[in-house]
Amino acid sequence: MTYLPNDPWYSCLPSCAAEVPCGTGRHEVRWEAGALVLPEHPDTEGELALAALGGEKAGCVALAEIWQRHGDDLSILAIGPRGPADEIKVSWQDVDQAAQLASPVAPLAHGTGGPPLGRLASPPRLPPGLLAARLRHSREESESARQRRTDMLSLLALGYGFQVRLTGQVAAAHADRPDDRVEPDDQVEGGARGRPALVAAIAGRLAPVAEEWLGIDPDQVIVSLHSGPGWGSAELTGRGEERRLRVSLPAGWLASVWACGLALAGRHLVVAVERPGWPDARVLGLRAPAQAGAMGAEPGPLDVHATLGAPGGPPDAPHWEV
Amino acid sequence: MDRERAETHLRVLAEAELRAAIEAAPASGGRWAADRSDASFARMARVARALTDVHALDVETAEAILAGFAAALGARQRTDLGRLMVHYESSLRKRLVRAPWFAWPSLGSQAGPGPEAPGSGRPDRGGPARLVPLGLTAWYRGDGMDGELHLLSYSRTASGARFTVAWRLSSSGSPGGHPLPAGLFGVTDDKGGWYSLSFTGCGGPDWAGEIRLRPDPPDDARWFDLTPPGGPALRVDVTPDSQRDGACPQVRETDLDPGEYLLNRTAERLLIAAQDFRPDPRAWPAGLRPGPLTGIASGLGDVVAALEAAGALSAVSPVPGRLAALCASLGLSGHGITAPPAHDLPEPWLSLRAHYHRRKPEPVPVWDGFAAVAAALPELDGISLALLGLHTAEGRTVLHLRASSPDGAGELPGPDFPLSVWVRDSGGRWHATQQDSWAHDDRESAFALHLVPPLTRSTAWIDLLAAGPSAEVSARLPLRWGAGHDLSAERSVVQLPAQLRG
Repeated sequence: MTYLPNDPWYSCLPSCAAEVPCGTGRHEVRWEAGALVLPEHPDTEGELALAALGGEKAGCVALAEIWQRHGDDLSILAIGPRGPADEIKVSWQDVDQAAQLASPVAPLAHGTGGPPLGRLASPPRLPPGLLAARLRHSREESESARQRRTDMLSLLALGYGFQVRLTGQVAAAHADRPDDRVEPDDQVEGGARGRPALVAAIAGRLAPVAEEWLGIDPDQVIVSLHSGPGWGSAELTGRGEERRLRVSLPAGWLASVWACGLALAGRHLVVAVERPGWPDARVLGLRAPAQAGAMGAEPGPLDVHATLGAPGGPPDAPHWEV
Repeated sequence: MDRERAETHLRVLAEAELRAAIEAAPASGGRWAADRSDASFARMARVARALTDVHALDVETAEAILAGFAAALGARQRTDLGRLMVHYESSLRKRLVRAPWFAWPSLGSQAGPGPEAPGSGRPDRGGPARLVPLGLTAWYRGDGMDGELHLLSYSRTASGARFTVAWRLSSSGSPGGHPLPAGLFGVTDDKGGWYSLSFTGCGGPDWAGEIRLRPDPPDDARWFDLTPPGGPALRVDVTPDSQRDGACPQVRETDLDPGEYLLNRTAERLLIAAQDFRPDPRAWPAGLRPGPLTGIASGLGDVVAALEAAGALSAVSPVPGRLAALCASLGLSGHGITAPPAHDLPEPWLSLRAHYHRRKPEPVPVWDGFAAVAAALPELDGISLALLGLHTAEGRTVLHLRASSPDGAGELPGPDFPLSVWVRDSGGRWHATQQDSWAHDDRESAFALHLVPPLTRSTAWIDLLAAGPSAEVSARLPLRWGAGHDLSAERSVVQLPAQLRG
């Protein structure tokens, strides 16, 4: 079974696999060329039809549905790993426990915040209809939160390799969406859509890379979203506490560079992939950022080669050398 | 205001907090410190709340960001941090229930609503249609409870007609029982109509609230006869009197940034919270600051940065520096405001700070009493406000207000009182206000605000200053105090512009 084939942002990534609980045993689930593959379930459509008629849904099939459901979910970027050193270990036992736990329900009690309410002579009362509606709404929210938590833990339980690949898929899904751009006049009324999530996602992943690249404090890295032709820009300004690395990168960098483990190669910040491939690729790397007021630094081509097992990271994280 | 920058700022802050938490995490799978994640979440929630307060960010987006942050922390700690979101949602979401007052649906001589009186019908528009200060006291005796009922004002607005009241029990009743003898009051009007009463209010030593008349009285009602149990009937004249002296409310634009308004409100909260602690902050032991004060001041630097990033606060605004100076004068550090302390603190702040530093008892005793006062204020930032009375009991002075949207179609004000209200007394001292309670019907909200410090009985008049983000209104209101033992509470009115009179 194949879900959501993507553009070849993943061309620098090898396939990966994990074992997941399915029925009474465990089955292998694979990620190959941007898609989730279930080798043990060749007739997934048929299994889904049976499940719709009341049959039990296989664990692998349910997982593939979760993967599909969150394939463009920006919250994946907020929750997923920021780099090989940020390994999120979730076991399938954790997933089972979370699925059985009821979500905490927001209290309907009065005075749960805000100003003091004065001294009450008797408890406040709600009309029965209003109370029932609020309880129903609260239960629905609680169930939705429980489902969402179980989904997230299931995706994380697949391991680091799947986590970064899903991050790449989400970033790629939003990278070229015109509705993610907000015109200045639209800012108050229309909201920001996906751009803030993408900026933060790049900032959270670029900051530790920049620290390794330049020795700069991660909190001094300022990211903006690049659009239009070119790779973007990187500039170093200020000194001491006022020092800032200002980097502008396209949203697609998250998918085609970071998710492939390419962000730093041979002390170069990789800003784009020129000729994708695994385990050999040609990338554009920046030796140093532009200094304030100077001409912008331009990246140069680098031929890189990958092995599995980034230093200090999980065994399935790629490690690229020039 | 830039929503995209506001959202980006909060999300990038989440990245920084998560990074710091990961770096502080114990190696090789040890337990994370719970207080670390709680502190991180509190910092995020504080900034999120500020951005939603100034409408730079909508509540749903803020919740989504915080939920993602809690999930990211929880996944790394292998802990369900959903509890954090529950607390956050409870404190942030306006739609959560906070109905505060108790109410009895029927209190009066009739078992149910009487017939519709001739000419009945509410004013079409929101806001006050008729406000009449009263200043009358009725005595009642029934069900083993004797008491005095002070009628502060009569108001007839889009949501109905009511007396704003305060009362005192002069003999003990059954604990937790009804403070007024149910079913024994009678109310009739000059046209022969009769009414049932329903009470909404706040209980305690300073009993106060509203007695709603049902059905709605006619527009041209001239008086009511209120017949309490065990006491003589009291004639209540509700004829508007356009000849009374008073001052016109003055409206002026403030040109405040939304962020400046929010920070000014924060300063008010600090000044109010300071009342519960030693009057001289210099006497506090080093490093030991009262919780509520440090709670309010904590993270103000983050809030300032977020407001500036969202375009809700100018980088050259003087307000952060004033707030820093106020924190310093209260002995509060760790607020994180980078602006240097300013020297030009607003007069109300200085007045209240001087009061705390005085370390002397009130110069004049604060006696129980009430002032009959009623005034409609011009619309302020989409809110129509009416002052319906003022009373002091057990050292607390309470203002009674009703608020609504001018056309009745806007969002109902509440649960938090949406405006800043300060009072300057005739002695030149300023008083901050803090919300005590909120109640609402389908058209209007009723608020009770208490004054810090309370008014003394020597106060001859007050300047009421209500401020919203874009404008403020002030009105001078003469006060003549009445008390339970004093029958002669006199009327005090403000002369309103013609378009505001009922």
